[in-house]
Amino acid sequence: MRAEELKGHLDAVLLAALEGGPRHGYAVMEALRQSTGGRLDLPTGTIYPALRRLEQAGLIRGSWSVVGGRRRREYRLTAAGRRALSGKRADWRDFAATVSAALEGRLCPDPG
Amino acid sequence: MSGPRLISDYLAVLAAELPASIVEELADGLAETYRSHLRQGLAPDQAAESAVAEFGDPHAIAADFARVNPARRGARRLLATGPVVGGCWAALLITGRAWAWPVPLPARIGFGLTLLTVIGLLAAAALWTRCRPAARAGIAGCLGIAAIDTIAITSAMLAIPSVTLVMIGAMAASTARVALSVQSLRPILT
Repeated sequence: MRAEELKGHLDAVLLAALEGGPRHGYAVMEALRQSTGGRLDLPTGTIYPALRRLEQAGLIRGSWSVVGGRRRREYRLTAAGRRALSGKRADWRDFAATVSAALEGRLCPDPG
Repeated sequence: MSGPRLISDYLAVLAAELPASIVEELADGLAETYRSHLRQGLAPDQAAESAVAEFGDPHAIAADFARVNPARRGARRLLATGPVVGGCWAALLITGRAWAWPVPLPARIGFGLTLLTVIGLLAAAALWTRCRPAARAGIAGCLGIAAIDTIAITSAMLAIPSVTLVMIGAMAASTARVALSVQSLRPILT
């Protein structure tokens, strides 16, 4: 899956990658590769601006540490980020169920 | 080209456009990517080529950062307040017959030119697609708008003897904008 196909869902995917604990940019990318079995073909550099945008929105919080003599920025979910992730997951399930029903000609499951 | 040289050249492209703290973060990620390819058995040159390719076009990364630049966001917010604050002051100047105030012509022209310069700086910060010049223009614009509002409030207090509702409205609008300028300045400087 390429970056443009992920457009609109990148925030949710990044929040999900941070759900297990704090991670730096490269570790976020590695977590996404592992969770998707390598099917997410995203230039690593593009996730850094996205992480800054999520930080500005108060959904994650960044902090610096020093690892092996290099400064490293790690991100962790905030309470608002956890709520946003939960909402985005629910939205995605609705969206996926609706589009699957439309594409496969099945009845859409009752959301209630 | 040697592996580390390819990586330092890539980082130099980013450093020309982005603040040092962002470049540091990207350098850490790129070093991790490079090391990961070395661990997979690639030669240093191949590992560097793969790491750089995996990171993507540095100009595209810089452009993405420019879109989330706090200077751009702050400048847009301050520009959006312009018509409201300006309208409040226009009402005060008209009802207070400002043309009869004993303000020397050079001071009036100086204030007008400063206002236009600050608006120009904020517009540049809001539209520039390069982080560093946008941040510099944003800092100057935020400080400029805070100074203009402070001068306007002080001048009104000295020039208008009786407090009116219109005056309170204009001063409240400017005070709120000074607070917004300070709030916008903080993320640009950190």
